[in-house]
Amino acid sequence: MLLSPLLIFIVVIAIYPLFFSFYISFFKYRLTDPNQTRTFLGLANYINAFKDPQVTGAIANTLIFVAGTVIVEIALGLGLALLFAAESRRTQMLRSWMLIPMALPPLVVGLVWKSLYNVDFGVIPYYLKQLGLDMGRGPLGELQWAMPAVILIDVWQWTPLIMVIFLAGLKSLPHEPYEAARVDGATRWQSFWYITLPMLKPTFLVALLLRTMQSFKVFDIIYATTGGGPGSATTVLNYHIYTVGMVFFKMGYAAALANILLIIVAALAILYIIVLERQQI
Amino acid sequence: MRNKTTFFSLVLIIALLAMMLAACAPAQPAEPPAEQPPAEPPAQQPTEAPKEEPAAPEKPFAGTELVLASMTDQYVAAFRYLIPKFEEETGIKITLDELGYVDLYQKLTADFVGHTANYDLMTVDIVWSGEYAQNKYTLPLDDFMERDKDELQLDDIMPVAWTLGEWEGQHWAYPLAGYANVLNYRKDVFADAGLEPPKTQEELLEYAKMLTKPEEDFYGIALLGAKGPAVAQDYMVFVQQHGSSILDEQGNVAINTPKNVEVLKFFGELFKYAPPGATDYWWDQRETAFRSGNVAMMEGWSIARAGYENPDISSVVGKVDIALAPVAEGMEPKYGFGGWGIGINADSENAEAAWEFIKWLTSPEVQKDWILNDGAPIRRSTLEDPELNEKFPWFPVLLESFEKGDGDYRPRIPEYSIIQDALGTTVNAYLVGEMTAEEALEQAQAQVEAALK
Repeated sequence: MLLSPLLIFIVVIAIYPLFFSFYISFFKYRLTDPNQTRTFLGLANYINAFKDPQVTGAIANTLIFVAGTVIVEIALGLGLALLFAAESRRTQMLRSWMLIPMALPPLVVGLVWKSLYNVDFGVIPYYLKQLGLDMGRGPLGELQWAMPAVILIDVWQWTPLIMVIFLAGLKSLPHEPYEAARVDGATRWQSFWYITLPMLKPTFLVALLLRTMQSFKVFDIIYATTGGGPGSATTVLNYHIYTVGMVFFKMGYAAALANILLIIVAALAILYIIVLERQQI
Repeated sequence: MRNKTTFFSLVLIIALLAMMLAACAPAQPAEPPAEQPPAEPPAQQPTEAPKEEPAAPEKPFAGTELVLASMTDQYVAAFRYLIPKFEEETGIKITLDELGYVDLYQKLTADFVGHTANYDLMTVDIVWSGEYAQNKYTLPLDDFMERDKDELQLDDIMPVAWTLGEWEGQHWAYPLAGYANVLNYRKDVFADAGLEPPKTQEELLEYAKMLTKPEEDFYGIALLGAKGPAVAQDYMVFVQQHGSSILDEQGNVAINTPKNVEVLKFFGELFKYAPPGATDYWWDQRETAFRSGNVAMMEGWSIARAGYENPDISSVVGKVDIALAPVAEGMEPKYGFGGWGIGINADSENAEAAWEFIKWLTSPEVQKDWILNDGAPIRRSTLEDPELNEKFPWFPVLLESFEKGDGDYRPRIPEYSIIQDALGTTVNAYLVGEMTAEEALEQAQAQVEAALK
């Protein structure tokens, strides 16, 4: 009984839109159509999506973005967590400073980095030039640099989150295996490789899942910095869905694309769980 | 035990995914628009019968509240200045909502589609005319114009200004701010080099090349290269100046023609003499480049001209002049015309009061104040006004641009935004080397055709 307000709330804001989006993804449904007609298309929206070079390109860009951000963030986050794991006044203070990027709205982060990257007055191209590296049109303007440049922004913002997750994981590890290893004469590297890493597996799962799902959804950073450009070098799927849905108001097609995104993420998430669970045995 | 944890994690994931989908799913109108197409076209006619001259009551609309959505172009300053005066004179209260180009288009579309009537008045870009007319988003103003034709002095409005909102014989927005595409150039730089401003596109390219000195961080020309509306619109300017077109003679979309490929290559060539960041320039960055004195030339809308003499925002005060935009050799001169109309939301309940504001704002007397406060002209009488000509000595160039103005070089058809989006991506892709000129236009054409199906 007491739960019912909450249940109604979830039904209204999550369940109903979910099913409605599945429903309209089978229709040609354009919001700006003065007659508001919905034509049933069956699976045509889904089939067209895979024939549409803009969509396949966007999916490829998304996968690059996700792989880039997740790998770098996990590696850096783990490194930082190990660095700051020791309890002292200094690490405690540094740890809290590290959390600042996470607290900023991504749109603000995007705009700040856009200025940093600006080729006419930005700091980054200026110093790179001093170092003899001419970026030409600037990090966000060159085809091969735009994607690494936006990945770097995401890494800057979200590595602290991974650090916190790994710190929590490290704190919860038991001491006994390490003592036993020391007695057996294991080096620090060996105890890290054979004890810490395997015991951190559940933490890896959490970090991977969280970041993969968030990275697939990336929108604000792209919107604020490149708008999917140059050309279509940083057009990720979520940004493309926004263009289809909120610029052209083609809701049926946009819903189909959103569902494709959902299926990709769900498949990846299940794969992670299966792989990591199996190795735990 | 293990099964239990697996099960639990799966449940967790599904819950997270559901939340994620809710975030991704397109926003929906509060209730599904289940209704049939409205039996009567919404507010085709002004709801009230035209009144007789409101001679008796002093302020017939006192107390009415209107909301105006305005693009944040220079003229927004004139709105800020004039609205209090209008409020005092009529007792109508106007709330001004200032929005950027992309936000304005999206917010207005949402307002029209949902019939929420949040905005009574809105600035309407010339290129939205066809789309707004087809969907009947704004009120056709013809009945108002017919009723009040004696006080409107319609003949005084420049003929080309009517393209700001006219579509198939009806007026879906009223002319508000006319812009001419002109060439801004640095008098001092041209004098030092012993050059006259370019008269043809060929000269434009040649001079841009001559005046570029990368080692001094000085470039020949500033252009719009940013993905999206910016690059699409600048490319279309050059298509027009080379005597080509985005539509064929029957009005069908014909982007991929040999002539347009040639123009695109010319456009790409010009970028060699633009600042390196130009492929990322939106209107404001292009302005900044010109105002900070890093470029010799810039084609752009005439409304920005007055700002170059303002030392607060310009470091090229007194060094700038404007000339007619150069056209390709042998072409009969036509100059790009654009700007904004002002429309009344078809769902607005205050159409009469809104019309009152349009009428007041575009009257010859108020137009002078409008211009003096960063507005843009639509009337011949303002363009020929001696006092204004003294203050803005470039008005004769504007007048000539308007007289030979072409308001249709960006096709004002309902499908305009689709064309703009396709070109906005592919032309930018060409400029940064992702595609060849042929591929870029081929893909733009294919995208537009696919979207129109």
